[in-house]
Amino acid sequence: MKRKFHRHKEREAIDVDITSLLDILTILLVFLLKSYNASDLKLDLTKDLEIADSSSRYMTRFAPVVQVNREAKVFLNNKEIGRIPASGEMTILTNLLKEEKIKTEKNNATKKQQYNAELVNLVFDRDMDYQVVQRVMHDSALAGFSQFKFIVKGNY
Amino acid sequence: MKVGHKIKKPEKLNLVPILDSVFIFIFFLLMSAQFVEVYEIGSSLPMTKDVPADKLEKDPLNLTLEVGKDQIIVKTGMQSARSRSFASTQKDELKTYLRELKKSYPKENTMIVKADPKISFQTLITTIDNTQEEKGSKDKLFEQIVFDNQGVK
Repeated sequence: MKRKFHRHKEREAIDVDITSLLDILTILLVFLLKSYNASDLKLDLTKDLEIADSSSRYMTRFAPVVQVNREAKVFLNNKEIGRIPASGEMTILTNLLKEEKIKTEKNNATKKQQYNAELVNLVFDRDMDYQVVQRVMHDSALAGFSQFKFIVKGNY
Repeated sequence: MKVGHKIKKPEKLNLVPILDSVFIFIFFLLMSAQFVEVYEIGSSLPMTKDVPADKLEKDPLNLTLEVGKDQIIVKTGMQSARSRSFASTQKDELKTYLRELKKSYPKENTMIVKADPKISFQTLITTIDNTQEEKGSKDKLFEQIVFDNQGVK
């Protein structure tokens, strides 16, 4: 009986040219390094809100975020809590901010990372009247927040 | 007699570890990337402190900026109040005046802002920007901003 001998061709290792991939990665790396932000505040802007331009270059810090959009809707930490009333105080905002303050103070007592419990980040639409800003500052102050940080967009 | 030289093939660089680290780095950067560059402008609630009149060395600056739709009024002094008004387009003049005030009162860094309730938030921010030194400048003007919530009457 004849034995069949299979002759196996030795497979050569395929050389993958990764030069183009490396080029892309390098460009991506530079782009991402440029948009890197060391701030611990992650801001998700709500709908219908265009933030004001400024030449300020102070880095944002972690704190509760109050946003007021063009339609005067108020958001606390990205959760809609209502509209700015036609007159008077917005008690729901004050109460929720009080809760936030208590939470921060509790965390400060137990956790290593300390946050300023008197600081609140305020984001307003650029066309918003100053009287709305005044009222939100007033309601925040009633909740015990005495330091306001206006979040603005860096212009060049 | 000819001696046969073996030609050494150049060894290929092992790029696998560097590619691994670059990939991890990209994920890390993607997570922390912020595509809208945001910054902050700080302000605080007004606080009052009683200082006996005899302890005051000179008339305190008490710098107050009244921001209207078209003009900015800079008020200074307590006992002998002075005021100077600028059109909202006179950015350089305003800054020069504030620099002069800073020279006279180098220890002062507070500015009270009274704004017209009808002005837009952008107008207010632009005015505040115009009262501060350019980024990267070593000199500082009146950085501490306090809002007077009564506004311009």
